[in-house]
Amino acid sequence: MISGHMTTSSRRMASSRLLNVVGILALVGVAFTVWLGLWITPNAEYFGNLVRLLYIHPPMAWVAFIAYGMAFLSSLLYLWPRTRDLRLDRLAGASAEVGVVFTGLTLATGSIWGRPTWGVWWTWDPLLTATALLFVLYLGYLALRRVPGERETVARRSAIAALVAFVDVPIVYFSVSWWRSLHQPPTVDLSGRHLYVHGSMAWTLLLGFVSFTLAYVWLTARRYRLAALSDREAEEGLSRAIDERRAEAESFV
Amino acid sequence: MSEIRPTRARATRRLKLAGLVIVAAIGFLLYKGLTSAIVFFKTANEAIAQRAQLGNSTFQLEGTVLHGTVHRRGSNQVLFEIRQGGVTIDVDNTGDPPQLFRPGLPVVVVGHFVGKSDRFASDQIMVKHSQEYIAEHPNRVKGDPGSATGTHS
Repeated sequence: MISGHMTTSSRRMASSRLLNVVGILALVGVAFTVWLGLWITPNAEYFGNLVRLLYIHPPMAWVAFIAYGMAFLSSLLYLWPRTRDLRLDRLAGASAEVGVVFTGLTLATGSIWGRPTWGVWWTWDPLLTATALLFVLYLGYLALRRVPGERETVARRSAIAALVAFVDVPIVYFSVSWWRSLHQPPTVDLSGRHLYVHGSMAWTLLLGFVSFTLAYVWLTARRYRLAALSDREAEEGLSRAIDERRAEAESFV
Repeated sequence: MSEIRPTRARATRRLKLAGLVIVAAIGFLLYKGLTSAIVFFKTANEAIAQRAQLGNSTFQLEGTVLHGTVHRRGSNQVLFEIRQGGVTIDVDNTGDPPQLFRPGLPVVVVGHFVGKSDRFASDQIMVKHSQEYIAEHPNRVKGDPGSATGTHS
């Protein structure tokens, strides 16, 4: 019994240490991206200094995509009876929350990019509209998660909502090729494997992708742990309340 | 028990309100999206083909700014020609063009045709740029952005 407890806690400590390493790598990676992006990489033709936003904006959008992808997959697995597990529900919630933060950052940095290059802070372009919709959809998902109910009921309706909201993700990604858009096609073309930047600019962009992905892993894992703790607190609070009620009833006898 | 009911009723009301706000927001975005975003702009040749129907209504027009046609008039007017699909349209823009505006780049201008003419009066220029970013090279001969004319000297 005691040894079993020890292994669990030592395993938890090991994964905690691993997570700290991921966090530090993410922090160092982002710091290096900023340094390379602002000081080392050259100005771009026509864009001048404006190009420096390239090193953070696409990585942020990428993180939002993988966050929603993770929420979609774990929600799907949760709804599948054989893999139904509340841990998957927590993972979906944690991942979507990080996704919303990064969608917000994508919209903000995109707007900052749009003003000097396109000439507008915002326009109802298909990509921009679909991204704004994505932000609202997942905000709605997060709000739905907070609506009280039985733990399993909340998990099930959240999972269904995550599947519905995910419909917009491919629409966002393909909007630039499906419809006429002001936004240019992706600089890192995932399907054709073509990269439209070269040299130190490409390496900095790559580093941006890696470090923001690490930041996603760290944030989601931390958020997941918080959700697990609050679930445990709710459970223990309930059993304590039942014990107290029982003790009260016994004292009347 | 009596305490639980009002809280639950309030929670339900709040849920309904939140749901309403979300549905309204999505509806608004879908409406904006379906009406204006799917056909975000008309190209120059389409605009001329639909000249009669368009009348003096406001729409987004796309074309590439032609070299040697950009002129400033007064303090905040820019005149230029845009071309797309073999059709050229004269544009009179009021207001400062964005930082990236230059001949050779495609733009989307927001405005309307003037009177019965094929001149286009716009009050906003949005610059479309390519997804390609090339390091500045002091000795490079400048060409059109995104085209292959920029070569090493």
